[in-house]
Amino acid sequence: MSTPNQNDPRLQQAGATDESIVTAHERALETKPDRHAHYALLPLAIVFVFSGVIFYAGTYLNSFSGHFSSKVFDETAGPPGAGAAAAPKIDPLTLGKRQYELACITCHQANGQGVPGVYPPLAGSEWVEGSEDRVVNIVVHGLKGPVHVKGTAYGAAVMPAFGQVPGSGYNWSDEKIAAVLTYVRQEWGNTAGPIETARVTEIRNAAGSRAEWTEPELLKLP
Amino acid sequence: MITTSTTAVAAEISDIDVSARRPLLYLIGSGLLWLVVSGIFAVINAVQLHTPEFLAHCSLLTYGRVHAAQETAFLYGWAGNAGVAIALWLLSRLGLTIFRGAVVATLGGVFWNIGVLLAVAGILIGDATSFPGLELPTYTHWLLLVSFGFMAVPGVLAWSGRKHETAFAAQWYALAALFLFPWFFSIAEVSLFLAPGRGTAQSVIAAWYAQNVYSLWLAPIALGALYYLLPKISAKPLPHYEFASLGFWTLIAVACWTGPRVLVNGPVPAWIPTLSIAAAAVVLMHFWIVWLNVRGVFATGGSVVLKFAAFGFASYLLVGIADAVFSLRSVARVTQFTYMQDALTALALIGSITLIFFAAIYYIAPRLCGRAWPSSALVRAHFAAAIIGFVVLVVALAVAGWVQGQALNSTASFADIAARTRPWLLVATAAQALLLIGNLLVTFHFLKIVACPREEAAALTFRTPVAMEASAS
Amino acid sequence: MRNGITFFLGLFCALGLSWGALVVGTRSQYAGIKPHYDDNEGDNFPQRPAGVAARGQLVYQDLGCAACHTQQVRRPGIGSDKERGWGDRQTVARDFLYEARPQLGTMRIGPDLANYAARAEPAGMIPDRLLAYLYNGHGGMPAYPFLFEKRKIAGERAEHALKVRTEAGYEIVPTGRANDLVAYLLSLNHKYEFPEAQPATHDKGEEGEKK
Repeated sequence: MSTPNQNDPRLQQAGATDESIVTAHERALETKPDRHAHYALLPLAIVFVFSGVIFYAGTYLNSFSGHFSSKVFDETAGPPGAGAAAAPKIDPLTLGKRQYELACITCHQANGQGVPGVYPPLAGSEWVEGSEDRVVNIVVHGLKGPVHVKGTAYGAAVMPAFGQVPGSGYNWSDEKIAAVLTYVRQEWGNTAGPIETARVTEIRNAAGSRAEWTEPELLKLP
Repeated sequence: MITTSTTAVAAEISDIDVSARRPLLYLIGSGLLWLVVSGIFAVINAVQLHTPEFLAHCSLLTYGRVHAAQETAFLYGWAGNAGVAIALWLLSRLGLTIFRGAVVATLGGVFWNIGVLLAVAGILIGDATSFPGLELPTYTHWLLLVSFGFMAVPGVLAWSGRKHETAFAAQWYALAALFLFPWFFSIAEVSLFLAPGRGTAQSVIAAWYAQNVYSLWLAPIALGALYYLLPKISAKPLPHYEFASLGFWTLIAVACWTGPRVLVNGPVPAWIPTLSIAAAAVVLMHFWIVWLNVRGVFATGGSVVLKFAAFGFASYLLVGIADAVFSLRSVARVTQFTYMQDALTALALIGSITLIFFAAIYYIAPRLCGRAWPSSALVRAHFAAAIIGFVVLVVALAVAGWVQGQALNSTASFADIAARTRPWLLVATAAQALLLIGNLLVTFHFLKIVACPREEAAALTFRTPVAMEASAS
Repeated sequence: MRNGITFFLGLFCALGLSWGALVVGTRSQYAGIKPHYDDNEGDNFPQRPAGVAARGQLVYQDLGCAACHTQQVRRPGIGSDKERGWGDRQTVARDFLYEARPQLGTMRIGPDLANYAARAEPAGMIPDRLLAYLYNGHGGMPAYPFLFEKRKIAGERAEHALKVRTEAGYEIVPTGRANDLVAYLLSLNHKYEFPEAQPATHDKGEEGEKK
């Protein structure tokens, strides 16, 4: 038999028996280590390094966790809500234009000219550019009976109620009414100012529940 | 049976090895064959990176599918088979009982391999799941899970029937691997497939799973092998062994938090990558303690087993440090979507897992077969190919990744980036080819040691191991 | 370790803790993510993908496109994602809320695709051109000829037949998979301005510790 060469790659010789590995290490756990300086230092070193690592991890977590919010994607952010986290504001002109194209356009047409003799125009209309009370009430409650716009009489059609009033088929929110009016009052050459949602609410509450307005009633409003 | 002409052979090769022979040789052999398959896919992929038209006309071999197939064949074919074999052997040897449940394990292994084969074929026809690390098509999941349960049976029996109640560290690691894999695999199955989370929650869970495959399944087996081989070969107890359990629990408890660090800057709430990055720093404690215990593997020159183990262990430590460093946001912004990821994956999977598994296989196979490896030239050639291929691959991919990352963060065109990384990718292709050659050599050599007749057993004898003294080193 | 039961409990709890935080915690946070109703647009965001686009995502997944392409834009200031036109804001969780399986990707061997439609369509990308890219390959991207079929011209040339030279009497036509993939790619648009996608504003006094 050839004496095995420790370094022969064809066979790695074993040094210790399996049982002795288990028992020797078992005994190593029970035996107290020697009281040499560098043995007692290691557990201390491990405690220190562990604490240091946990401290670093904790600081890192504190700085960059965004308070564990599901809305924070930038780790350098502060607590949620502190920054510009508000929802995008609604643009009244965009909303108003959309509302106009949903409903108003059928009668008053895309160019705001209406249909001669049937539907009154909105472009250059004194009703549109004039009193806020009158125009808001028209949209909220509707308009029935003859009305004179730019000198011409219109009486064939009835404008339905758009506001949140009994009998309304549209039930548009005050915000939508304010938006559509703001849009109409600056479109096609009109130069009247915007109408606030709060104003619409105020006017609607003041008028209460009623049937469509008529021209004489409207003219009594400021 | 082994012609026990010398009592030394009988003393070294315990009854455990005799009883374990069939299942473990089957598992190791299939593992090595899958390693070769994965290596072929890896070479195809590497070529396709710098020569996109290579095999592009074939739908089975398009880059994305081959990439997924390579990863699956490697993780579940090679590492799964070999890892379970090593874990079972460690538990039986240290449990000091004979290997029970050999038939169950072999059956499990056969169905595991059927599952992996179905998975790889399924990926090539397009059923990959797109989760990195879990590309297995859904129809193979239950087959693999149940087969794994069967394969793990001998390990559980060896643990419950162990002779000494206080188990050695290698046993903790091996048993943890056998239990944790089915647990986190089932969790992933439920959370990703049966009742998937919404949107990118799936990406977080997939990243958690992929990390666990390395940290809670493969790395513990590799560590178990290291903890066993070093004292076994050197006959000296491990230093600072009283901290080994701290090292073990730090790995198990902390490493599973580090997965989602790859989603840094991604469409997930910022606390998730932050938590993982912090955990990657905390888990460095585990690497320090394991270094304290196993650093003796660097000192013992000469033997190929310990040389493989030394390179593997060095890679393992590097992976821990690299994960902590490259996960930091300031570094990740350069290396995030680059070949650096591939380099770190190679460092982890080829370096720390495969090299340590090779060390274990070079040690275990002679004991299972009752004879030494037939050819020292093949052993040396494989060692050279594996080490050179591995080092060159990691370096080439790391440089390519760094160059790519810098270029990505500028407005250089992708054609420009491809031109800049091309030389490194060519080097990486050569390295993959070298690794494949090495793997072919070891597979051939393994088949030889299993198949060759026994009269050559007299050429090299097994030395009788001695009882180790429990002196504190 | 002496007591086997304690050992198992330890393993179970250790895994259970990370499961609780990273799996359960993430899922419960995501359960609270709601779409955002925009009054200006009159629609919910993110919008659900069209059926063709959802099918196309399956083709994307099947071919493993995520191996080379990411679909996650980083915020301005990190890398050059914004400068490359990949997106003015980072992608957030809500962008992927209704995707069956987000293809976030891990490598940028090719460009990021999160907002591909948003940048390609204004630049003149049409389905036919994208189909040609897929057939021939483009830049470093390999060709995918198997997404197309060669068939005999029956009467007239098909409308979407590729303009490539082939055998007389035959034409190259995209398969359903190719069309689905193109529909998916031309639906990739994560441009809606979610509030959480804005980078954090920092006052002068605050130290932004960048790591």
